[in-house]
Amino acid sequence: MTTPDPAADTPGDAMTSPSSAEQTSALETLGRSSGPASLILASLAEGAKHGYALTKDIESFAGVRLAPGTLYEALSRLEAHGMIEALESHDRRRPYRLTAIGATALSAYLENQRKVAEVGLRRLAGSWAAT
Amino acid sequence: MNTPPQPEGSHQDPGAAHDPAITRLLLWYPQSWRVRYGEEFAELLAAERAEQGPSLRRNVNVATIGLRTRLAGAGLAGHPLDDAAAGHAGLAVIAACIAAAVLAGSAMWSQLAIGLQWSVPHSHGVTQAVDLMSAALLVLVLLTALAAAPVAWTAVAAVVRGQGCEFRRPAAFMATGLVVVMIGGRHFENGWPGTGGHLLAHQGIVPGGIAAFAWASTMWITSYWAHPAALAEFPAAQLAWMLLSPVASGFVVTGAVQLLRRVRLSPRAFRYQTRVANLAWTGLAAFLGGSLWWFASGPAGYAGPFRAGAIDHAALGVVTVAVIVGALAVRHARAAARSGFRRALASPRP
Repeated sequence: MTTPDPAADTPGDAMTSPSSAEQTSALETLGRSSGPASLILASLAEGAKHGYALTKDIESFAGVRLAPGTLYEALSRLEAHGMIEALESHDRRRPYRLTAIGATALSAYLENQRKVAEVGLRRLAGSWAAT
Repeated sequence: MNTPPQPEGSHQDPGAAHDPAITRLLLWYPQSWRVRYGEEFAELLAAERAEQGPSLRRNVNVATIGLRTRLAGAGLAGHPLDDAAAGHAGLAVIAACIAAAVLAGSAMWSQLAIGLQWSVPHSHGVTQAVDLMSAALLVLVLLTALAAAPVAWTAVAAVVRGQGCEFRRPAAFMATGLVVVMIGGRHFENGWPGTGGHLLAHQGIVPGGIAAFAWASTMWITSYWAHPAALAEFPAAQLAWMLLSPVASGFVVTGAVQLLRRVRLSPRAFRYQTRVANLAWTGLAAFLGGSLWWFASGPAGYAGPFRAGAIDHAALGVVTVAVIVGALAVRHARAAARSGFRRALASPRP
């Protein structure tokens, strides 16, 4: 596993460009891969990882073990959309890191998820707290 | 996007250092995908296998997604890695579907035309079905010409600029195949069994000359192959033509498909092609409708000249598959044109 390049684009830099709505839809254009893609981006937000490290990390924080085909289908689409990029590798395992576009897309996606979670929890608290 | 350079020779056999089972699993994916992701994917599979042992569920997951990646690369499923390449592949698939349907359909239609030369159909439905099939075939031929024009223009322009080396082989394939089909078709149409038939009111809009050429060009699509004794009675020249003509037709189709996969159309030309492809699919569906109409027109137990035989059932199957696959290809070619295709087209081809 490698660490992120300090000189690379940081999520903070990228937050200022495209609107959240645009980037949310960017992640959702990945179709059936958007779920695994959000998990991959969340894992890479910590630092660059190769395929197996991604699987283990996602399993540890989300309780989901992505099957190899599913993982690489999402990885290839994320790379094609410029949300992640491959790093040089000295062995056969190639690490990936988050790009500015990916960080912005993840941020917008998670913000949206947070809003949905907050509304859901608030309504649950209001309607079901007494029961 | 930064893609690290591949170590020399590493892309030749991505799964070579792994278990043969892993190497076999990688074969579900297209070669272009294996070249890019094969080594690291094999590494992940080996790690998963070492940790959890062999797993049928994992194998099914890899096979399913590998197959889907292949379909996406051929413009038949969503989310390909390269929208532009998948869009062009989609057009090539549509061209192949139309070619298959026109060949199978022409064989069916030309046999019906022979029947119409000699006898009155048992039902008006047959005449109407043949009229619809004739109109659909005419539309498909016209649309093929409309679709070929911008492709030919782009290829010729590239050749004039000195960048058309990759078009030479497909163009040679097409030219060779077309010359053989035209010369052979024109020669053998003289033996058309419809010649000498009567001018009947029920012949509809079937032109005898075109029917004769279609019959001669598709003479090899016949159930005689299942009856070698009857086939042995054929003149040697006709047998030779029945062996040569499918090869020549294959040359035309292969050349057209290769050309469509290699040519890089402008976004405007690609949009035009997807519209023509959409219309062509409608023509295919109309031809299928006409064929089904004819099949449905025969009363139970009917054994006259307009009876649908085994080869007609096979041809109907080919047309049906062409309509289904063509619909998928049209849908994904249009999606490719919408999603990021313009940007991909604007960038220089590697």
